[in-house]
Amino acid sequence: MAVDYKDYYDVLGVSRDATQDEIRRAYRRLAREYHPDLNSDPDAEERFKELGEANEVLSDPEKRGRYDRLGAQWRAQEAAPGGGDFEDFFAGQGFARDMGPEFGDGMFSEFFERLFGDGAVPRSSGPLRGRDIEAVLELSLEDALAGATRRLSLGDGHSVTVNIPPSVREGQRIRVAGRGAPGRDGGPAGDLYLLVRLAPHPRFRREGDDLQVDVRVAPWEAALGATVPIATLTGTAQVRVPTGSSSGRRLRLRGRGLPTGGGERGDLYATVQIAVPKHLSDEERELFEQLAAASEFNPREGRR
Amino acid sequence: MSARRAAPQERPAGDDAIERPVELVIVARRAGLRVSVVRRYLALGLFEPYAGTSNAPLFAPESAARVAKADRLRRDLGLNSAGAVLACELLDRISELESRAARGAGR
Repeated sequence: MAVDYKDYYDVLGVSRDATQDEIRRAYRRLAREYHPDLNSDPDAEERFKELGEANEVLSDPEKRGRYDRLGAQWRAQEAAPGGGDFEDFFAGQGFARDMGPEFGDGMFSEFFERLFGDGAVPRSSGPLRGRDIEAVLELSLEDALAGATRRLSLGDGHSVTVNIPPSVREGQRIRVAGRGAPGRDGGPAGDLYLLVRLAPHPRFRREGDDLQVDVRVAPWEAALGATVPIATLTGTAQVRVPTGSSSGRRLRLRGRGLPTGGGERGDLYATVQIAVPKHLSDEERELFEQLAAASEFNPREGRR
Repeated sequence: MSARRAAPQERPAGDDAIERPVELVIVARRAGLRVSVVRRYLALGLFEPYAGTSNAPLFAPESAARVAKADRLRRDLGLNSAGAVLACELLDRISELESRAARGAGR
């Protein structure tokens, strides 16, 4: 397998004859910029690792000297016709080693480990817990109420199964222990936090912990009163439309909304929408005409 | 450690939500740090006792992550402990301002 050559000078943005001081300054400045605790960009972590590796090599005169010598030869060989890959290069230099299956597990690149051996890594300062990671978890209203099981991919090729408890709320953080960034030098891993976002629902509108839904009724149901089924998060419920309900009247179903956090639930408001048939039968038309003739109701006069 | 990484996989996340305050040694263990290091951050005011008594103080479970973050910043950026504590406090303020701004924009 070919191993990519890494230009550590390029990573730190310094020239090949940079002084130790210049290298340290460049590293410090870039480390502050790309430190994963300071920069939430997902690429920052990878960039920061590269910086650490470049600094590990270039800030140590012995490693830097070795890198400079081998790097120059590598580039010469790459330029030569039919120049082999890095593997051949190392074989020619007598650096080829027997790699165990655990190889490549370290925090530094394969290039680094080939160059210096995996025993060279690194100036450790002891175990330390890894970073906590936050990810957004979008849930349907139904799942937020009832709980759910989700399989999440963590971006690094791993995935995790999370049991989401019932009654979670918008903005709530769910902790998944030990699924954050890996620890250093045997330190424990950080935690994964899932920030709950409630997805828009095709039927219910959210107003804090309350829900809003339209209930369509016939004119006679609105006028005479009726009990009609409406959709709730968990199925259907019967709601009583009182006599004389106009469009826009809000009917409250207590405790059928979203979880409030204290074991309670908000309310579901059903808004009456009067619907009329698009086409009338002869009989319907006749009855409506009788009603129109008999009624003195004028909806455009502002009362009731 | 690999067993420790694998174990939480099937654990229901809800169990973790009700975590109790913990002793300083637990904070240290979860942070992967020596107790003396954690004590130094405590003395610098990075985190505070949350419950318990003055003889047996207890700390919020999030303290471990906070101490580890401070120590990552200290090691990686060449800060001293007080500088790392300051950095953490400024980061807290930034995220508070950001979430306030996000709430304001969301309206």
